[in-house]
Amino acid sequence: MATQQEIKESLETFTENYNNNDRLKIMNRDWNRVVVVKATDVDSVHTWVLQDGVLKLKEGEADAPDLTVISDSETLADVFYGDITPIEPYNDGTLRIMGSEDDITRLDFICLMIWGE
Amino acid sequence: MQLKRVLTLRTVVATSAGLTLASSSFVAAVLVANYVLGDTAWIAILIGGALCFLAAACFSELNGLLPTAAGIRLYFSRAFNDQVSLVISLLYMLIVVIGVVGVESFILSQVLSEAFPAIPPYLWIVVMLLLVTGMNLRGIKMAGVFQDVVTYSLIAVMLFIGFFALYKVGFKLNAPLSPGGATGMIQAVAVGVFLFVGFEWVTPLVEEVTQVKQISRGMMIALGILSVVYAVFTVAMTAVVPKATLVASPAPQLVLARTVLGDLGASVMILVILATSLKTFNAGIISVSRFMYASAREHVLPAVFSKISMRFFTPYVAIITLFFIGLLAAALTMLTGNYVVLVGLAAAMESIVYTLAGLAVISLRRKMSDRERPYLIKGGYLVPLLTALVFTLLAVAVLASDISALLYIAAAFVVVLVYVNTAVPRLKKKYEARKPAARRRPARAPEGLESK
Repeated sequence: MATQQEIKESLETFTENYNNNDRLKIMNRDWNRVVVVKATDVDSVHTWVLQDGVLKLKEGEADAPDLTVISDSETLADVFYGDITPIEPYNDGTLRIMGSEDDITRLDFICLMIWGE
Repeated sequence: MQLKRVLTLRTVVATSAGLTLASSSFVAAVLVANYVLGDTAWIAILIGGALCFLAAACFSELNGLLPTAAGIRLYFSRAFNDQVSLVISLLYMLIVVIGVVGVESFILSQVLSEAFPAIPPYLWIVVMLLLVTGMNLRGIKMAGVFQDVVTYSLIAVMLFIGFFALYKVGFKLNAPLSPGGATGMIQAVAVGVFLFVGFEWVTPLVEEVTQVKQISRGMMIALGILSVVYAVFTVAMTAVVPKATLVASPAPQLVLARTVLGDLGASVMILVILATSLKTFNAGIISVSRFMYASAREHVLPAVFSKISMRFFTPYVAIITLFFIGLLAAALTMLTGNYVVLVGLAAAMESIVYTLAGLAVISLRRKMSDRERPYLIKGGYLVPLLTALVFTLLAVAVLASDISALLYIAAAFVVVLVYVNTAVPRLKKKYEARKPAARRRPARAPEGLESK
Protein backbone atom coordinates (compact mmCIF):
# COMPACT_ATOMS: atom_id res chain seq x y z
CA MET A 1 0.00 0.00 0.00
CA ALA A 2 1.38 3.41 -0.97
CA THR A 3 1.21 6.30 1.46
CA GLN A 4 -0.71 9.53 1.00
CA GLN A 5 2.69 11.24 0.58
CA GLU A 6 3.69 8.86 -2.24
CA ILE A 7 0.46 9.53 -4.09
CA LYS A 8 0.97 13.26 -3.66
CA GLU A 9 4.54 12.99 -4.98
CA SER A 10 3.40 10.95 -7.97
CA LEU A 11 0.78 13.58 -8.82
CA GLU A 12 3.34 16.37 -8.38
CA THR A 13 5.77 14.54 -10.68
CA PHE A 14 3.02 14.13 -13.25
CA THR A 15 2.05 17.82 -12.94
CA GLU A 16 5.65 18.94 -13.32
CA ASN A 17 6.21 16.75 -16.37
CA TYR A 18 2.98 17.98 -17.91
CA ASN A 19 3.79 21.66 -17.35
CA ASN A 20 7.31 21.18 -18.74
CA ASN A 21 5.82 19.90 -22.01
CA ASP A 22 4.95 22.96 -24.10
CA ARG A 23 3.35 20.85 -26.79
CA LEU A 24 0.93 19.33 -24.31
CA LYS A 25 0.06 22.75 -22.94
CA ILE A 26 -0.76 24.02 -26.43
CA MET A 27 -2.79 20.91 -27.25
CA ASN A 28 -4.86 21.26 -24.09
CA ARG A 29 -5.36 25.00 -24.08
CA ASP A 30 -9.08 24.56 -24.88
CA TRP A 31 -9.57 21.50 -22.70
CA ASN A 32 -10.45 23.04 -19.36
CA ARG A 33 -11.20 20.26 -16.93
CA VAL A 34 -11.33 19.44 -13.23
CA VAL A 35 -10.01 15.99 -12.32
CA VAL A 36 -10.33 14.44 -8.88
CA VAL A 37 -7.95 11.61 -7.91
CA LYS A 38 -9.08 9.49 -5.00
CA ALA A 39 -7.49 6.51 -3.27
CA THR A 40 -9.68 3.74 -1.92
CA ASP A 41 -7.35 2.40 0.76
CA VAL A 42 -5.71 5.54 2.21
CA ASP A 43 -7.11 8.94 3.01
CA SER A 44 -5.96 10.73 -0.12
CA VAL A 45 -7.97 13.05 -2.36
CA HIS A 46 -6.41 15.50 -4.79
CA THR A 47 -7.79 17.77 -7.47
CA TRP A 48 -6.18 18.81 -10.73
CA VAL A 49 -7.42 21.95 -12.38
CA LEU A 50 -6.48 22.22 -16.03
CA GLN A 51 -7.12 25.77 -17.20
CA ASP A 52 -5.87 27.30 -20.47
CA GLY A 53 -3.40 24.45 -20.88
CA VAL A 54 -1.80 24.84 -17.43
CA LEU A 55 -2.18 22.07 -14.84
CA LYS A 56 -2.42 22.86 -11.13
CA LEU A 57 -2.63 20.37 -8.26
CA LYS A 58 -4.57 21.00 -5.06
CA GLU A 59 -5.24 18.86 -2.02
CA GLY A 60 -8.88 17.98 -1.35
CA GLU A 61 -11.95 17.39 -3.44
CA ALA A 62 -13.70 19.61 -6.02
CA ASP A 63 -17.50 19.92 -6.06
CA ALA A 64 -18.25 19.13 -9.68
CA PRO A 65 -15.34 17.40 -11.38
CA ASP A 66 -15.34 16.44 -15.05
CA LEU A 67 -13.39 13.29 -14.28
CA THR A 68 -12.92 11.24 -11.14
CA VAL A 69 -10.08 8.72 -10.98
CA ILE A 70 -10.50 6.11 -8.25
CA SER A 71 -8.15 3.27 -7.39
CA ASP A 72 -6.01 1.75 -4.66
CA SER A 73 -2.98 3.77 -3.58
CA GLU A 74 -0.40 1.44 -5.21
CA THR A 75 -2.07 1.65 -8.61
CA LEU A 76 -2.47 5.43 -8.43
CA ALA A 77 1.19 5.96 -7.52
CA ASP A 78 2.35 3.56 -10.28
CA VAL A 79 0.10 5.14 -12.91
CA PHE A 80 1.06 8.73 -12.19
CA TYR A 81 4.77 7.93 -11.92
CA GLY A 82 4.36 6.36 -15.36
CA ASP A 83 5.43 2.87 -14.30
CA ILE A 84 2.25 1.36 -15.71
CA THR A 85 -0.23 2.63 -18.31
CA PRO A 86 -3.69 3.59 -17.01
CA ILE A 87 -5.28 1.24 -19.56
CA GLU A 88 -3.95 -1.91 -17.89
CA PRO A 89 -5.58 -1.36 -14.46
CA TYR A 90 -8.61 0.19 -16.19
CA ASN A 91 -9.19 -2.91 -18.32
CA ASP A 92 -8.77 -5.25 -15.36
CA GLY A 93 -11.15 -3.19 -13.23
CA THR A 94 -8.58 -2.00 -10.66
CA LEU A 95 -8.80 1.60 -11.81
CA ARG A 96 -12.13 3.32 -12.22
CA ILE A 97 -12.58 6.58 -14.08
CA MET A 98 -15.90 8.41 -13.97
CA GLY A 99 -16.48 10.90 -16.75
CA SER A 100 -17.10 11.04 -20.48
CA GLU A 101 -15.41 8.42 -22.65
CA ASP A 102 -13.66 11.16 -24.63
CA ASP A 103 -12.22 12.71 -21.48
CA ILE A 104 -11.04 9.31 -20.26
CA THR A 105 -9.28 8.72 -23.57
CA ARG A 106 -7.75 12.22 -23.47
CA LEU A 107 -6.35 11.57 -20.01
CA ASP A 108 -4.71 8.39 -21.29
CA PHE A 109 -3.34 10.30 -24.32
CA ILE A 110 -1.72 12.76 -21.91
CA CYS A 111 -0.13 9.92 -19.89
CA LEU A 112 1.13 8.42 -23.15
CA MET A 113 2.68 11.72 -24.21
CA ILE A 114 4.36 12.26 -20.86
CA TRP A 115 5.63 8.75 -20.19
CA GLY A 116 5.66 7.13 -23.62
CA GLU A 117 4.48 3.55 -24.12
CA MET B 1 -19.85 14.55 -5.52
CA GLN B 2 -21.61 15.01 -8.83
CA LEU B 3 -20.03 14.98 -12.29
CA LYS B 4 -20.41 18.21 -14.25
CA ARG B 5 -21.88 16.66 -17.35
CA VAL B 6 -24.38 13.84 -17.13
CA LEU B 7 -26.45 12.16 -19.81
CA THR B 8 -30.22 12.04 -19.77
CA LEU B 9 -32.34 8.92 -20.18
CA ARG B 10 -33.49 10.32 -23.56
CA THR B 11 -29.89 10.25 -24.82
CA VAL B 12 -29.24 6.79 -23.38
CA VAL B 13 -32.33 5.44 -25.21
CA ALA B 14 -31.37 7.26 -28.43
CA THR B 15 -27.80 5.95 -28.24
CA SER B 16 -28.90 2.36 -27.66
CA ALA B 17 -31.55 2.49 -30.40
CA GLY B 18 -29.32 4.54 -32.70
CA LEU B 19 -26.46 2.05 -32.54
CA THR B 20 -28.90 -0.68 -33.48
CA LEU B 21 -30.81 0.99 -36.30
CA ALA B 22 -28.84 0.47 -39.49
CA SER B 23 -29.82 0.34 -43.15
CA SER B 24 -28.82 -3.34 -43.11
CA SER B 25 -31.41 -4.06 -40.40
CA PHE B 26 -34.10 -4.11 -43.10
CA VAL B 27 -32.28 -6.82 -45.04
CA ALA B 28 -32.40 -8.90 -41.86
CA ALA B 29 -36.07 -8.01 -41.39
CA VAL B 30 -36.87 -9.39 -44.85
CA LEU B 31 -34.86 -12.55 -44.13
CA VAL B 32 -36.93 -12.97 -40.96
CA ALA B 33 -40.14 -12.54 -42.97
CA ASN B 34 -38.93 -15.05 -45.54
CA TYR B 35 -38.44 -17.81 -42.94
CA VAL B 36 -42.07 -17.64 -41.80
CA LEU B 37 -45.38 -17.89 -43.62
CA GLY B 38 -47.63 -14.97 -44.50
CA ASP B 39 -47.40 -11.69 -42.59
CA THR B 40 -46.19 -13.30 -39.37
CA ALA B 41 -42.71 -11.78 -39.19
CA TRP B 42 -43.94 -9.65 -36.29
CA ILE B 43 -44.12 -12.76 -34.08
CA ALA B 44 -40.47 -13.67 -34.74
CA ILE B 45 -39.37 -10.05 -34.28
CA LEU B 46 -41.21 -9.65 -30.99
CA ILE B 47 -39.79 -12.99 -29.75
CA GLY B 48 -36.30 -11.86 -30.84
CA GLY B 49 -36.78 -8.56 -29.01
CA ALA B 50 -38.06 -10.35 -25.90
CA LEU B 51 -35.02 -12.66 -25.93
CA CYS B 52 -32.75 -9.64 -26.21
CA PHE B 53 -34.40 -8.38 -23.00
CA LEU B 54 -32.84 -11.41 -21.31
CA ALA B 55 -29.42 -10.44 -22.64
CA ALA B 56 -30.07 -6.81 -21.65
CA ALA B 57 -30.78 -7.94 -18.08
CA CYS B 58 -27.44 -9.80 -18.02
CA PHE B 59 -25.58 -6.78 -19.40
CA SER B 60 -27.31 -4.59 -16.79
CA GLU B 61 -26.07 -6.77 -13.95
CA LEU B 62 -22.54 -6.94 -15.38
CA ASN B 63 -22.48 -3.22 -16.02
CA GLY B 64 -23.64 -2.41 -12.49
CA LEU B 65 -21.09 -4.78 -10.99
CA LEU B 66 -18.19 -3.58 -13.16
CA PRO B 67 -19.03 -0.10 -14.42
CA THR B 68 -16.49 0.47 -17.18
CA ALA B 69 -16.17 1.64 -20.76
CA ALA B 70 -14.10 -1.51 -21.38
CA GLY B 71 -17.35 -3.57 -21.47
CA ILE B 72 -17.07 -7.25 -22.38
CA ARG B 73 -13.26 -7.05 -22.27
CA LEU B 74 -13.47 -6.65 -18.48
CA TYR B 75 -16.64 -8.71 -17.83
CA PHE B 76 -15.26 -11.79 -19.60
CA SER B 77 -11.76 -11.43 -18.23
CA ARG B 78 -13.11 -11.40 -14.67
CA ALA B 79 -15.67 -14.14 -15.32
CA PHE B 80 -13.50 -16.52 -17.36
CA ASN B 81 -9.89 -15.49 -18.03
CA ASP B 82 -7.92 -12.93 -20.00
CA GLN B 83 -7.40 -15.22 -22.98
CA VAL B 84 -11.11 -15.93 -23.46
CA SER B 85 -11.89 -12.26 -23.02
CA LEU B 86 -9.29 -11.21 -25.58
CA VAL B 87 -10.27 -13.82 -28.18
CA ILE B 88 -13.96 -12.94 -27.94
CA SER B 89 -13.40 -9.17 -27.91
CA LEU B 90 -11.13 -9.27 -30.97
CA LEU B 91 -13.43 -11.66 -32.81
CA TYR B 92 -16.48 -9.56 -31.97
CA MET B 93 -14.90 -6.34 -33.20
CA LEU B 94 -13.60 -8.01 -36.36
CA ILE B 95 -16.84 -9.73 -37.33
CA VAL B 96 -19.22 -6.96 -36.40
CA VAL B 97 -17.10 -4.35 -38.19
CA ILE B 98 -16.65 -6.41 -41.34
CA GLY B 99 -20.26 -7.61 -41.21
CA VAL B 100 -21.92 -4.28 -40.58
CA VAL B 101 -19.60 -2.19 -42.80
CA GLY B 102 -19.82 -4.76 -45.58
CA VAL B 103 -23.61 -4.97 -45.64
CA GLU B 104 -24.15 -1.30 -44.92
CA SER B 105 -21.81 -0.11 -47.67
CA PHE B 106 -23.28 -2.55 -50.17
CA ILE B 107 -26.81 -1.32 -49.48
CA LEU B 108 -25.80 2.31 -49.55
CA SER B 109 -23.92 1.99 -52.83
CA GLN B 110 -26.85 0.20 -54.50
CA VAL B 111 -29.34 2.79 -53.28
CA LEU B 112 -27.23 5.78 -54.28
CA SER B 113 -26.26 4.36 -57.65
CA GLU B 114 -29.95 3.82 -58.33
CA ALA B 115 -30.61 7.47 -57.53
CA PHE B 116 -27.52 8.69 -59.41
CA PRO B 117 -26.79 6.01 -62.05
CA ALA B 118 -23.90 7.94 -63.63
CA ILE B 119 -21.73 7.49 -60.54
CA PRO B 120 -20.18 4.02 -59.97
CA PRO B 121 -21.44 2.38 -56.75
CA TYR B 122 -17.97 1.81 -55.26
CA LEU B 123 -17.19 5.51 -55.55
CA TRP B 124 -20.03 6.22 -53.13
CA ILE B 125 -18.44 3.91 -50.57
CA VAL B 126 -15.07 5.58 -50.93
CA VAL B 127 -16.66 9.03 -50.53
CA MET B 128 -18.76 8.03 -47.49
CA LEU B 129 -15.88 6.27 -45.75
CA LEU B 130 -13.56 9.19 -46.51
CA LEU B 131 -16.10 11.58 -45.01
CA VAL B 132 -16.52 9.58 -41.81
CA THR B 133 -12.77 8.89 -41.56
CA GLY B 134 -12.02 12.60 -42.02
CA MET B 135 -14.51 13.51 -39.29
CA ASN B 136 -12.98 10.98 -36.92
CA LEU B 137 -9.41 12.02 -37.71
CA ARG B 138 -10.25 15.62 -36.87
CA GLY B 139 -12.12 14.56 -33.75
CA ILE B 140 -15.41 16.03 -35.00
CA LYS B 141 -18.25 14.32 -33.20
CA MET B 142 -21.92 14.41 -33.98
CA ALA B 143 -23.51 16.32 -31.11
CA GLY B 144 -25.68 14.32 -28.69
CA VAL B 145 -28.75 16.36 -29.60
CA PHE B 146 -28.15 15.80 -33.33
CA GLN B 147 -27.87 12.04 -32.78
CA ASP B 148 -31.06 12.09 -30.71
CA VAL B 149 -32.88 13.99 -33.47
CA VAL B 150 -31.65 11.60 -36.20
CA THR B 151 -32.62 8.48 -34.22
CA TYR B 152 -36.05 9.68 -33.11
CA SER B 153 -36.81 11.06 -36.63
CA LEU B 154 -35.87 7.71 -38.13
CA ILE B 155 -38.20 5.91 -35.73
CA ALA B 156 -40.99 8.36 -36.56
CA VAL B 157 -40.48 7.94 -40.34
CA MET B 158 -40.51 4.14 -40.02
CA LEU B 159 -43.70 4.18 -37.98
CA PHE B 160 -45.38 6.64 -40.32
CA ILE B 161 -44.50 4.69 -43.48
CA GLY B 162 -45.38 1.40 -41.79
CA PHE B 163 -48.82 2.48 -40.60
CA PHE B 164 -49.52 4.37 -43.84
CA ALA B 165 -48.70 1.24 -45.86
CA LEU B 166 -50.97 -0.87 -43.64
CA TYR B 167 -53.72 1.75 -43.95
CA LYS B 168 -53.41 1.57 -47.74
CA VAL B 169 -54.10 -2.16 -47.70
CA GLY B 170 -56.92 -1.65 -45.20
CA PHE B 171 -54.91 -3.41 -42.46
CA LYS B 172 -55.63 -6.69 -44.24
CA LEU B 173 -52.90 -9.15 -43.42
CA ASN B 174 -52.20 -12.58 -44.88
CA ALA B 175 -52.52 -15.20 -42.09
CA PRO B 176 -50.91 -12.97 -39.43
CA LEU B 177 -51.12 -15.66 -36.74
CA SER B 178 -49.88 -18.75 -38.63
CA PRO B 179 -46.10 -18.66 -38.93
CA GLY B 180 -45.69 -22.29 -40.09
CA GLY B 181 -43.20 -24.85 -38.73
CA ALA B 182 -40.94 -24.55 -35.70
CA THR B 183 -37.72 -24.77 -37.75
CA GLY B 184 -38.61 -21.71 -39.81
CA MET B 185 -39.60 -19.81 -36.67
CA ILE B 186 -36.33 -20.65 -34.87
CA GLN B 187 -34.31 -19.53 -37.89
CA ALA B 188 -36.40 -16.36 -38.18
CA VAL B 189 -35.82 -15.52 -34.51
CA ALA B 190 -32.10 -16.28 -34.87
CA VAL B 191 -31.67 -13.90 -37.81
CA GLY B 192 -33.99 -11.47 -36.03
CA VAL B 193 -31.30 -11.03 -33.37
CA PHE B 194 -29.36 -9.07 -36.03
CA LEU B 195 -32.10 -6.42 -35.84
CA PHE B 196 -30.97 -5.63 -32.30
CA VAL B 197 -27.20 -5.92 -32.81
CA GLY B 198 -25.44 -3.23 -30.81
CA PHE B 199 -28.14 -2.27 -28.26
CA GLU B 200 -25.67 -3.13 -25.48
CA TRP B 201 -22.95 -0.87 -26.92
CA VAL B 202 -24.49 1.84 -24.78
CA THR B 203 -22.91 0.31 -21.64
CA PRO B 204 -19.65 2.35 -21.99
CA LEU B 205 -21.76 5.40 -21.11
CA VAL B 206 -22.10 4.05 -17.57
CA GLU B 207 -19.56 6.58 -16.28
CA GLU B 208 -21.60 9.46 -17.68
CA VAL B 209 -24.97 8.83 -16.01
CA THR B 210 -26.07 9.65 -12.50
CA GLN B 211 -27.36 6.14 -11.78
CA VAL B 212 -26.19 2.86 -13.25
CA LYS B 213 -29.82 1.79 -13.51
CA GLN B 214 -30.37 4.46 -16.17
CA ILE B 215 -28.32 2.38 -18.59
CA SER B 216 -30.45 -0.72 -18.00
CA ARG B 217 -33.65 1.27 -18.24
CA GLY B 218 -32.40 2.93 -21.43
CA MET B 219 -31.50 -0.43 -23.02
CA MET B 220 -34.88 -1.94 -22.12
CA ILE B 221 -36.83 1.06 -23.45
CA ALA B 222 -34.77 1.05 -26.65
CA LEU B 223 -35.42 -2.69 -27.14
CA GLY B 224 -39.14 -2.18 -26.57
CA ILE B 225 -39.35 0.68 -29.08
CA LEU B 226 -37.25 -1.16 -31.66
CA SER B 227 -39.28 -4.37 -31.36
CA VAL B 228 -42.52 -2.51 -32.08
CA VAL B 229 -41.06 -0.35 -34.87
CA TYR B 230 -39.41 -3.29 -36.66
CA ALA B 231 -42.54 -5.42 -36.27
CA VAL B 232 -44.82 -2.74 -37.76
CA PHE B 233 -42.44 -1.89 -40.60
CA THR B 234 -41.71 -5.51 -41.54
CA VAL B 235 -45.37 -6.51 -41.56
CA ALA B 236 -46.08 -3.43 -43.70
CA MET B 237 -43.35 -4.48 -46.14
CA THR B 238 -44.70 -8.01 -46.58
CA ALA B 239 -48.32 -6.84 -46.68
CA VAL B 240 -47.67 -4.39 -49.53
CA VAL B 241 -44.77 -5.82 -51.53
CA PRO B 242 -44.35 -9.47 -52.61
CA LYS B 243 -41.69 -11.25 -50.53
CA ALA B 244 -39.76 -12.28 -53.65
CA THR B 245 -39.35 -8.60 -54.64
CA LEU B 246 -38.21 -7.68 -51.13
CA VAL B 247 -35.69 -10.53 -50.96
CA ALA B 248 -34.22 -9.52 -54.31
CA SER B 249 -33.63 -5.95 -53.16
CA PRO B 250 -30.67 -4.84 -50.99
CA ALA B 251 -32.81 -1.94 -49.74
CA PRO B 252 -36.34 -3.28 -49.10
CA GLN B 253 -37.21 -0.17 -47.06
CA LEU B 254 -36.77 1.86 -50.26
CA VAL B 255 -39.05 -0.50 -52.16
CA LEU B 256 -41.79 -0.03 -49.55
CA ALA B 257 -41.41 3.76 -49.44
CA ARG B 258 -41.61 3.98 -53.24
CA THR B 259 -44.61 1.63 -53.39
CA VAL B 260 -46.71 3.55 -50.88
CA LEU B 261 -45.52 7.14 -51.32
CA GLY B 262 -44.10 7.23 -54.86
CA ASP B 263 -41.00 9.26 -55.74
CA LEU B 264 -41.43 11.53 -52.72
CA GLY B 265 -41.35 8.52 -50.38
CA ALA B 266 -38.30 7.15 -52.20
CA SER B 267 -36.47 10.48 -51.88
CA VAL B 268 -37.22 10.69 -48.15
CA MET B 269 -36.08 7.09 -47.68
CA ILE B 270 -32.83 7.71 -49.58
CA LEU B 271 -32.08 10.56 -47.17
CA VAL B 272 -32.96 8.32 -44.23
CA ILE B 273 -30.66 5.56 -45.54
CA LEU B 274 -27.87 8.07 -46.04
CA ALA B 275 -28.20 9.50 -42.49
CA THR B 276 -28.53 6.03 -40.96
CA SER B 277 -25.50 4.63 -42.75
CA LEU B 278 -23.39 7.67 -41.88
CA LYS B 279 -24.39 7.29 -38.25
CA THR B 280 -23.59 3.56 -38.31
CA PHE B 281 -20.18 4.03 -39.99
CA ASN B 282 -19.38 6.80 -37.56
CA ALA B 283 -20.37 4.82 -34.45
CA GLY B 284 -18.40 1.83 -35.76
CA ILE B 285 -15.23 3.81 -36.42
CA ILE B 286 -15.38 5.63 -33.07
CA SER B 287 -15.93 2.46 -31.02
CA VAL B 288 -13.52 0.21 -32.85
CA SER B 289 -10.71 2.77 -33.19
CA ARG B 290 -10.87 3.42 -29.42
CA PHE B 291 -10.86 -0.35 -28.83
CA MET B 292 -7.79 -0.73 -31.08
CA TYR B 293 -6.06 2.15 -29.30
CA ALA B 294 -6.78 0.68 -25.86
CA SER B 295 -5.64 -2.78 -27.02
CA ALA B 296 -2.38 -1.34 -28.32
CA ARG B 297 -1.89 0.45 -24.98
CA GLU B 298 -2.24 -2.84 -23.14
CA HIS B 299 0.15 -4.44 -25.67
CA VAL B 300 -2.23 -6.89 -27.28
CA LEU B 301 -2.19 -5.08 -30.65
CA PRO B 302 0.96 -3.61 -32.24
CA ALA B 303 2.07 -0.34 -30.61
CA VAL B 304 1.56 1.53 -33.87
CA PHE B 305 -2.21 1.60 -33.18
CA SER B 306 -1.62 3.74 -30.08
CA LYS B 307 -0.17 6.57 -32.15
CA ILE B 308 -2.18 9.74 -31.70
CA SER B 309 -2.56 12.88 -33.72
CA MET B 310 -0.69 15.73 -32.03
CA ARG B 311 -3.21 18.17 -33.39
CA PHE B 312 -6.55 16.50 -32.82
CA PHE B 313 -5.87 13.95 -30.06
CA THR B 314 -7.26 11.11 -32.15
CA PRO B 315 -5.79 7.62 -32.71
CA TYR B 316 -5.09 8.26 -36.38
CA VAL B 317 -3.36 4.97 -37.25
CA ALA B 318 -6.30 2.97 -35.91
CA ILE B 319 -8.77 5.19 -37.78
CA ILE B 320 -6.89 5.00 -41.10
CA THR B 321 -6.52 1.22 -40.72
CA LEU B 322 -10.27 0.94 -40.22
CA PHE B 323 -10.82 3.02 -43.35
CA PHE B 324 -8.86 0.47 -45.41
CA ILE B 325 -10.56 -2.48 -43.68
CA GLY B 326 -13.90 -0.85 -44.53
CA LEU B 327 -12.87 -0.38 -48.18
CA LEU B 328 -11.75 -4.01 -48.38
CA ALA B 329 -14.92 -5.34 -46.72
CA ALA B 330 -17.04 -3.24 -49.09
CA ALA B 331 -15.04 -4.33 -52.16
CA LEU B 332 -15.34 -8.02 -51.26
CA THR B 333 -19.07 -7.69 -50.58
CA MET B 334 -19.61 -5.92 -53.89
CA LEU B 335 -17.52 -8.44 -55.82
CA THR B 336 -19.30 -11.46 -54.38
CA GLY B 337 -22.70 -9.76 -53.97
CA ASN B 338 -23.16 -12.09 -51.00
CA TYR B 339 -24.15 -9.58 -48.35
CA VAL B 340 -26.64 -11.93 -46.72
CA VAL B 341 -23.86 -14.14 -45.32
CA LEU B 342 -22.56 -11.14 -43.37
CA VAL B 343 -25.95 -10.73 -41.69
CA GLY B 344 -25.80 -14.36 -40.53
CA LEU B 345 -22.20 -13.94 -39.41
CA ALA B 346 -22.95 -10.86 -37.29
CA ALA B 347 -26.13 -12.43 -35.86
CA ALA B 348 -24.23 -15.59 -34.86
CA MET B 349 -21.39 -13.60 -33.26
CA GLU B 350 -23.86 -11.45 -31.37
CA SER B 351 -25.60 -14.59 -30.10
CA ILE B 352 -22.27 -16.03 -28.94
CA VAL B 353 -21.52 -12.82 -27.02
CA TYR B 354 -24.97 -12.88 -25.38
CA THR B 355 -24.46 -16.53 -24.43
CA LEU B 356 -21.18 -15.62 -22.75
CA ALA B 357 -22.83 -12.64 -21.02
CA GLY B 358 -25.31 -15.07 -19.41
CA LEU B 359 -22.47 -17.39 -18.34
CA ALA B 360 -20.46 -14.41 -17.06
CA VAL B 361 -23.32 -13.39 -14.76
CA ILE B 362 -23.38 -16.90 -13.29
CA SER B 363 -19.60 -17.05 -12.92
CA LEU B 364 -19.30 -13.59 -11.33
CA ARG B 365 -22.08 -14.30 -8.83
CA ARG B 366 -19.78 -17.00 -7.49
CA LYS B 367 -16.44 -15.22 -7.89
CA MET B 368 -17.56 -11.79 -6.68
CA SER B 369 -20.42 -12.76 -4.40
CA ASP B 370 -19.65 -10.08 -1.83
CA ARG B 371 -19.63 -7.16 -4.28
CA GLU B 372 -22.53 -4.74 -4.31
CA ARG B 373 -24.80 -5.05 -7.34
CA PRO B 374 -26.84 -1.93 -8.20
CA TYR B 375 -28.82 -4.12 -10.61
CA LEU B 376 -29.50 -7.73 -9.64
CA ILE B 377 -31.59 -9.94 -11.93
CA LYS B 378 -34.46 -11.41 -9.98
CA GLY B 379 -35.19 -15.14 -10.02
CA GLY B 380 -31.73 -16.46 -9.16
CA TYR B 381 -29.91 -18.16 -12.02
CA LEU B 382 -33.00 -18.55 -14.23
CA VAL B 383 -32.50 -15.53 -16.53
CA PRO B 384 -28.74 -15.91 -17.06
CA LEU B 385 -29.16 -19.65 -17.66
CA LEU B 386 -32.01 -19.04 -20.07
CA THR B 387 -29.96 -16.38 -21.87
CA ALA B 388 -27.03 -18.76 -22.29
CA LEU B 389 -29.24 -21.62 -23.50
CA VAL B 390 -31.43 -19.62 -25.85
CA PHE B 391 -28.59 -17.75 -27.53
CA THR B 392 -26.54 -20.94 -27.92
CA LEU B 393 -29.51 -22.43 -29.74
CA LEU B 394 -29.90 -19.34 -31.90
CA ALA B 395 -26.19 -19.24 -32.80
CA VAL B 396 -26.40 -22.92 -33.81
CA ALA B 397 -29.57 -22.23 -35.82
CA VAL B 398 -27.94 -19.39 -37.78
CA LEU B 399 -24.71 -21.27 -38.46
CA ALA B 400 -26.51 -24.51 -39.37
CA SER B 401 -28.63 -22.72 -41.96
CA ASP B 402 -25.69 -20.89 -43.52
CA ILE B 403 -22.62 -23.05 -44.01
CA SER B 404 -20.57 -20.10 -45.40
CA ALA B 405 -21.18 -18.14 -42.18
CA LEU B 406 -20.05 -21.20 -40.18
CA LEU B 407 -16.84 -21.51 -42.22
CA TYR B 408 -16.05 -17.78 -41.94
CA ILE B 409 -16.63 -17.68 -38.20
CA ALA B 410 -14.56 -20.85 -37.67
CA ALA B 411 -11.71 -19.44 -39.78
CA ALA B 412 -11.83 -16.09 -37.95
CA PHE B 413 -11.82 -17.90 -34.60
CA VAL B 414 -8.73 -19.93 -35.53
CA VAL B 415 -6.90 -16.82 -36.77
CA VAL B 416 -7.72 -14.84 -33.59
CA LEU B 417 -6.85 -17.79 -31.33
CA VAL B 418 -3.46 -18.24 -33.03
CA TYR B 419 -2.87 -14.47 -32.82
CA VAL B 420 -3.67 -14.36 -29.09
CA ASN B 421 -1.45 -17.36 -28.36
CA THR B 422 1.54 -16.41 -30.49
CA ALA B 423 1.63 -12.70 -31.38
CA VAL B 424 0.30 -11.29 -28.08
CA PRO B 425 2.98 -12.93 -25.88
CA ARG B 426 5.61 -11.59 -28.31
CA LEU B 427 4.18 -8.07 -28.15
CA LYS B 428 4.16 -8.18 -24.37
CA LYS B 429 7.75 -9.47 -24.31
CA LYS B 430 8.83 -6.71 -26.68
CA TYR B 431 7.19 -4.13 -24.42
CA GLU B 432 8.88 -5.54 -21.32
CA ALA B 433 12.25 -5.34 -23.08
CA ARG B 434 11.65 -1.69 -23.98
CA LYS B 435 10.54 -0.69 -20.50
CA PRO B 436 12.99 1.43 -18.48
CA ALA B 437 15.21 -0.83 -16.38
CA ALA B 438 14.41 1.07 -13.18
CA ARG B 439 10.98 2.15 -11.99
CA ARG B 440 10.41 5.88 -11.96
CA ARG B 441 8.68 5.65 -8.62
CA PRO B 442 11.34 6.01 -5.91
CA ALA B 443 11.95 2.89 -3.86
CA ARG B 444 10.37 3.09 -0.44
CA ALA B 445 12.68 3.07 2.57
CA PRO B 446 12.33 -0.14 4.59
CA GLU B 447 10.02 0.04 7.61
CA GLY B 448 11.74 1.57 10.61
CA LEU B 449 14.44 3.35 8.59
CA GLU B 450 12.23 6.33 7.75
CA SER B 451 12.48 7.79 11.23
CA LYS B 452 16.26 7.36 11.55
